[in-house]
Amino acid sequence: MTSVRPKLKPETPKAVTAWETATGENVWMTADGGWTKDPAQIGAFTGEEAEARLADAQAQEGQVTDPYFMEVTETGGITGRETLRETIRATGPTVAYGDAG
Amino acid sequence: MYRYDEFDARIVSERVAQFRGQVERRLAGTLLEDEFKPLRLQNGVYLQLHAYMLRVAIPYGQLSGRQLRQLAVVARDYDRGYGHFTTRQNIQFNWVALKDIPDVLAKLAEVEMHAIQTSGNCIRNVTSDHFAGATKDELMDPRPWCEIIRQWSTFHPEFAFLPRKFKIAVTAAEHDRAAIRVHDIGLHIRKRGDVVGFEVHVGGGQGRTPHLATLVNEFVPEAELLDYLEAIMRVYNRFGRRDNKYKARIKILVSELGEGEFRRLVEEEYAAQRPQEKIDLPQAEIDRIHAYFAPPALAEKPATSDAFEALKAEDPEFARWARVNLHPHKTDGYASVTVSLKPVGGLAGDATDAQMMTVAHLAETYAYDDIRVSHAQNLVLPHVALDDLPDVYRELKAAGLHTANESLITDMIVCPGLDYCNLANARSIPVGQAVQQVFADPDYQEDIGRLHINISGCINACGHHHIGHIGILGVDKKGEEFYQITFGGRADEKAAIGSIAGPGLKADDVPSALKRVVDTYRDLRSDKSELFIETLARLGHDPFKEALYAAD
Repeated sequence: MTSVRPKLKPETPKAVTAWETATGENVWMTADGGWTKDPAQIGAFTGEEAEARLADAQAQEGQVTDPYFMEVTETGGITGRETLRETIRATGPTVAYGDAG
Repeated sequence: MYRYDEFDARIVSERVAQFRGQVERRLAGTLLEDEFKPLRLQNGVYLQLHAYMLRVAIPYGQLSGRQLRQLAVVARDYDRGYGHFTTRQNIQFNWVALKDIPDVLAKLAEVEMHAIQTSGNCIRNVTSDHFAGATKDELMDPRPWCEIIRQWSTFHPEFAFLPRKFKIAVTAAEHDRAAIRVHDIGLHIRKRGDVVGFEVHVGGGQGRTPHLATLVNEFVPEAELLDYLEAIMRVYNRFGRRDNKYKARIKILVSELGEGEFRRLVEEEYAAQRPQEKIDLPQAEIDRIHAYFAPPALAEKPATSDAFEALKAEDPEFARWARVNLHPHKTDGYASVTVSLKPVGGLAGDATDAQMMTVAHLAETYAYDDIRVSHAQNLVLPHVALDDLPDVYRELKAAGLHTANESLITDMIVCPGLDYCNLANARSIPVGQAVQQVFADPDYQEDIGRLHINISGCINACGHHHIGHIGILGVDKKGEEFYQITFGGRADEKAAIGSIAGPGLKADDVPSALKRVVDTYRDLRSDKSELFIETLARLGHDPFKEALYAAD
């Protein structure tokens, strides 16, 4: 696994995130267990359900890579110790780049 | 420059085909990420914060126009229209899709390029002086030896699974522009009479435990170099730690064994090499490689140029650029041009596809088809006639590549940081941009003189903060970014590791704090010729620490 992130307590709401294997684009699991590239659609899970969702993600190796838990609010908003990292990951670099840079 | 022979071409194209199959199996889910990861890393493919990143090798930082054009095509067609030149003289593409990478590698193979050994625990790209073969102050051109080492180390079966990555740098100039003392092995080419040899420094490096390399041998004759390097690598392979990733670099081995014991082990290993395993590089082979690096046939020119002098007199911006960005060439009537990739407020080391095309065109038209990448993340045209500088400048200006700041305070080394990197703890780019802004005035920058500020977004030190005259290290404190400042590092022949000034600063406070430090230097320097790093050495760090932490 590439991403070893801070451990979260079972009761802490968490999302499952990964990289789409074919493109490397960031994906998040939705509440119904599908994948989205829209951070507004992030699903929040806790306890055993969260562990089961992560296991589901890990079983989808061809489609997604290196899934891990990230801390979110109960409604799927990015929060916690890694807010800055996960926000940048969700919304892109904080600096203009390429022709705009 | 070196050209592939039939074997090189076949090896690279076979490697592309092999990786294509591996990617297909990964996408089909039959290769798991844990199985695929070492394979992708062997082909320069990382998984970063937003996407895969492809690191392409640029051996000792040298490119032809054709190669740079192809990199521009990759940036345009497979990425987001730009690439990032690195402190290891390579280029990275930040947004390449895995499914496209085999096609990208095939494109690179068309121009004799690849991404092999740009990652993993092997001997990486050999780096060198970006003015090699052009500068007045070199004993000889170091590139042939870089190429010999490249050929020896590429796919060397004994050194494919080292305890950790391994970096070799070579210089032949008194002023070290290749930072050899912070490499696993740093080689300085020397001569004793007519014999060419190498001063061998081992165990330098940055990261979380920075070390300067130890001088292990003052003179290894050229014919014995590869055997001597093998002895070092064998000692490292055998005794280097594999139990702890953070203690696995050769710098830790040299430090734990001590200089004397490490040298004894290398000499014992060297003496134990049997005659049949000696490489004993034949002179004919040394000569064959040297022939690829014959100096360009520069047209004879007077030492001064009327066109150059006239534009300097007429255009103060051009005169400034000429003062700052030109380096003396060994041939009269020529100069080496630094093409700065550090515009104020820009992204250090980034170039768009259009900018790459411009530099390729300039190289082909005016600069003997020779381009270099510097470890400071700039490009260099090593051989340009003074007569052609006005035209070169005009084209650079049209492409936004005319920033006059080579080695000045805004010519910062900046790692990608948390904006791109999966390992970073803090952002580097916006802090670097904010620091540039307070020193943006070109007169102010010139008055300050040579001053290297380097910034890294984590302890891995890709932004070389340990060896910046002023270093900035981004750290994470409970989810907030802080920046530790170091003073006194340097990368050259007087290499030193900077020392931490005190508690970290918030991002917003860094630019004004550094301005106070720099203005203190301007007040305290003995005269304008005394550089920041020299004033710091003369007076100690205290006045600068005081300035750093003084309230606004």
